[in-house]
Amino acid sequence: MINQSFSRREFVRLLTGGTAAVLISFNTACKNKISRWRYLQEEEIGLLDAIVEQIIPTDDFPGGKWANVSNYIDKQLDTYYINHQVEYRDGLAAFEKTVIQLKSKKFEELPFPEQTAILEKMEGGDFPGEYWKAHSPAGFFDMIRQHSMQGFYGSPVHGGNREYISYHMLGLDYPNVIGQNRYNDLSWRKYNPNSIENGK
Amino acid sequence: MANKHVNAVVIGAGAGGGVVAKELATAGLSVLLIERGRWHTFDEHGDDELTSQRTFPLKCGYGPDNEHNWRMASDGKGGWIKVFPNDWAYGNNAACVGSGTVSYGAMAWRFQPADFHLKTKYGAVPGSTLDDWPLTYDELEPFYEKAEYELGVSGDPTNDPFVPPRKNPYPMPAFSFNSEGIILEKAAKRLGLHPFPIPMLRNSVPYNGRPACIRMRTCVGFACPVNAKAGTQNTVIPVALKTGNCELRINCMVSEIIVDDKGKARGIKYFDADNKLQEQTSDLVVVSASASETARLLLNSKSSLFPKGAGNNNGWVGRNIQDHAYTGAYGLFADKLYDDVGPGACIAVNDFNHRMPDIIGGGVLCNEFIRMPYQFSSIRPSGSRMWGKDHKDFQKLNFKRHIAVHGPVQEMPVFDKMVEVDPVVKDFWGIPVVRISGFRHDNDIKVGRLLADKAEEWLKEAGAVQTWKSVPGKGSTPSQHQSGTCRMGNDPKTSVTNRYGQLHEIDNIFVADGSLHVNNGGYNPALTILALGYWVGGHIAEMWKGTHMK
Amino acid sequence: MKKIFIIISGLLVLVVALLAGYSQWNAASPTKTCASCHEISHSVDLWGGSTHRNIACKECHGTALSEGLHSLKEKGAMVFHHIGKLNPDDVRISEVQRLDVMKRCIACHQTEYAKWNSGGHAMNYSEVFLNPGHNKAETIYDDCLRCHGMFYDKGTVVDIVEPLDSAGPWKLKDASLSDRPAIPCFACHQVHQSGNPDSRPDLGTPALLHYSRVKKTLASLYYRRDKMYFPVLLIANPEINYQSTSVKVSNDPNQRLCIQCHSANAFNMGGTDDDRTPRGVHEGISCLACHDSHSNSAISSCKICHPAISNCKLDVEKMNTTFFDKSSKNNIHFVSCTDCHTKGRPAKSTRP
Repeated sequence: MINQSFSRREFVRLLTGGTAAVLISFNTACKNKISRWRYLQEEEIGLLDAIVEQIIPTDDFPGGKWANVSNYIDKQLDTYYINHQVEYRDGLAAFEKTVIQLKSKKFEELPFPEQTAILEKMEGGDFPGEYWKAHSPAGFFDMIRQHSMQGFYGSPVHGGNREYISYHMLGLDYPNVIGQNRYNDLSWRKYNPNSIENGK
Repeated sequence: MANKHVNAVVIGAGAGGGVVAKELATAGLSVLLIERGRWHTFDEHGDDELTSQRTFPLKCGYGPDNEHNWRMASDGKGGWIKVFPNDWAYGNNAACVGSGTVSYGAMAWRFQPADFHLKTKYGAVPGSTLDDWPLTYDELEPFYEKAEYELGVSGDPTNDPFVPPRKNPYPMPAFSFNSEGIILEKAAKRLGLHPFPIPMLRNSVPYNGRPACIRMRTCVGFACPVNAKAGTQNTVIPVALKTGNCELRINCMVSEIIVDDKGKARGIKYFDADNKLQEQTSDLVVVSASASETARLLLNSKSSLFPKGAGNNNGWVGRNIQDHAYTGAYGLFADKLYDDVGPGACIAVNDFNHRMPDIIGGGVLCNEFIRMPYQFSSIRPSGSRMWGKDHKDFQKLNFKRHIAVHGPVQEMPVFDKMVEVDPVVKDFWGIPVVRISGFRHDNDIKVGRLLADKAEEWLKEAGAVQTWKSVPGKGSTPSQHQSGTCRMGNDPKTSVTNRYGQLHEIDNIFVADGSLHVNNGGYNPALTILALGYWVGGHIAEMWKGTHMK
Repeated sequence: MKKIFIIISGLLVLVVALLAGYSQWNAASPTKTCASCHEISHSVDLWGGSTHRNIACKECHGTALSEGLHSLKEKGAMVFHHIGKLNPDDVRISEVQRLDVMKRCIACHQTEYAKWNSGGHAMNYSEVFLNPGHNKAETIYDDCLRCHGMFYDKGTVVDIVEPLDSAGPWKLKDASLSDRPAIPCFACHQVHQSGNPDSRPDLGTPALLHYSRVKKTLASLYYRRDKMYFPVLLIANPEINYQSTSVKVSNDPNQRLCIQCHSANAFNMGGTDDDRTPRGVHEGISCLACHDSHSNSAISSCKICHPAISNCKLDVEKMNTTFFDKSSKNNIHFVSCTDCHTKGRPAKSTRP
């Protein structure tokens, strides 16, 4: 710059330009929406939902899909089950490919009884293995089965069992309602060796 | 800064270690109680099944953790695979202050007098290293009583004609039965059995400054929200700490016992909470790290006189590992019977323990602790579909309509069922890991099948409309009842320690946990481990008065 | 000279931009700011369907400047954590943050606050944990926090008070807890909960208004063990028994919240532990029929039913029950006619 002093106009220009630049970059930086899921992807979740719905189907009580079992599995894949990540990705991909090969349709699009039949085959090990490299189809199914049971019947703090639905279904008194001891005469607690009916 | 020299290092703040630390501290010795885990409270874990010590798909809530600990397990094809604490094949036992006594079911059984001399009673058992204990029930009886009174046991032996002899009554009255217990009691009496309440290390009335049990449903596998369950962490360990003679160091993993060239222990090496290797010198060392970890530590403590591990010149350290061959049956009933009153397990019969003709041993049969939903999802008659509509229907229908009767079959010790350390694999700290291998004795399966039949009969008499059995298998990893790896004996060729838990080969190393058991009784072993803690600890204190282990 | 000017202007630009950006951040819809990251989007969705949907995040949660240095530090820490690799799944609000939010609940809900403050639920930590009579009768344990102190997040009961025995004398380990409420608004109210405010009914036929009202409640228990809320409609109606018969328990869902803390023993036996489920003449009546939900006061509650419903034409407020006299042996919750009429209930009184 040739002029020694900073003109007012330049100052204002710098101020507004600079502010605008910062604001624009501020806005664009936060544009990237992070996926709702931690490890699995939307299509994998779609497939997993269909599988867990088979494992715990809806009847007069909601099933695995509503109860957020896929959310449980995804959450654990990011934490406790981090060693199972590859197994899930490979397994779900292999499963989808196998189903398409068998039925020319995606698993999620098949009617419910056909899905059941496929899973039965998979459980029995009667599955074409060409897409399955390191893991067996039967082993993969058993893993999802166990994880689904955990997600449906376990505590909701781990992401599944939405609204404590399984406890509600079983009639489990939850939260556990027990008061303090101190007001009691504790005689009702004790075993009476002379009575056929002990307790109450 | 070097650690100050102490008289005794006690490794493992569990059932045995906590008691020994207290006995030694009150006798005036300076004690370091060193523990790989830390303090846990109910508040931290709540009643979350998936991280309990009972069902642990995600992690073992009370330790050990997956980040630092793993083992090698047989893959069934002659090779080994890496397993973590939340795998069944790992064989976990809690690793925290109080260890298993924080989260256990707290059954408080004394072994039967016969359990201390099975070989004399039944003769030698082919294929088993069965032997008599080097002490009798009568010698241990006062120590059982000490454990019962200092920790607090509720029980009532009135209706048990087979109760081991006792000088004094239980300190607290027994727990009343829940609805399951009432049904089973009537049926047992009709069958001519002798049902009685299970003695428990749990307050039925306020005792020792702690409240009475509130009878909630999540007991085994969880800490107690009101501190009614007795463990070493809320009884003897605080007493030890109050004497001023005992220091508790947590989050410290002991890697080796230092044994000098003259065959004397000098202290330990351990990794502190910042994973730095430290040394601690002492006059004596007491190892109470649980059967598998105690054996591991001794095997890893090699020195010039003991190239195979401390006290292992005869090759018996790590051998004869036992658990209990759990057996039993389930029954489904027409009417709802679940009343949500914990802990669930309340009634037992001793009629099938040492009392069956032509059968060696046996075990107690009890009803089970309350089954939580996820746990129940894997309880099905064999052949059932374990998923789908049928599975869900079964869960809905039978969750409140089933009773489980199980018992711990006394195992015959097998020399080749053992703990070794892996030659290659090391844990987080570089310590060679445990490798458990071997199979149960056939007698365990035979007795297990018989007891399962008895359990089924009991359930049928109680009115079960459908029953099925669950019998033990030959290969299972000893877990929360692990014992036998450093057994006591009078003959140094076929045992690791003498009758006081002192290593035959090294005078100033003692063992004070389930490793000492020659056989593991037909009962949960916690009270026996506690009693042996008093026995060993008391003996060390006596010895100390004389020689100071010099 | 020029350089200094540029530097100063640069700094000014930065400050203005930050302030402008920050006020834009606060003013923008949460879906574009906070909730564009997945972890709190669920809470934002719930809020969007809640009775507080028209109140912006910052009205309750404050801004960096609302609590002075304390909130500046807090919000600064949030930004710092977002720069690091943190993608926490279980983002939870701390107890201190809750109490900051509570100050703003009070700003609008002044009546409820005044009532709460006048009742037993306004107890603070020192009143709960240093009460000698209470501690002597029952040793302090973890489960205490289930009902009072449920939001305490710096540890467990061993970090609050010592010693943990029934001998005492007791003192708080952390003096800042002394005046902190142990049962704040959030113990019973889940703010981020879907549910509409009562909608305007069809006033075409006023006589039928009652019939068109939908009975619903948004009360929710904060369950410490799971750190989750339990809407009362998800809680089963408790089954209380007394001497082998079943006690009729009111169907009022809000009452289920009371019973979570004022609960019976594991056998669900009436009259045990903290149970006050009415038996006798008041059997089947909800707690909240007599006790105001926030102040818990039942002082003028008799008039709701009496003397219209009275068999003896006596002033029920003066009868021999604990309502009138603390030392009476007839607990108002359990009193029945036969407590006084030991030979059986007489025929209805003909007194004028």
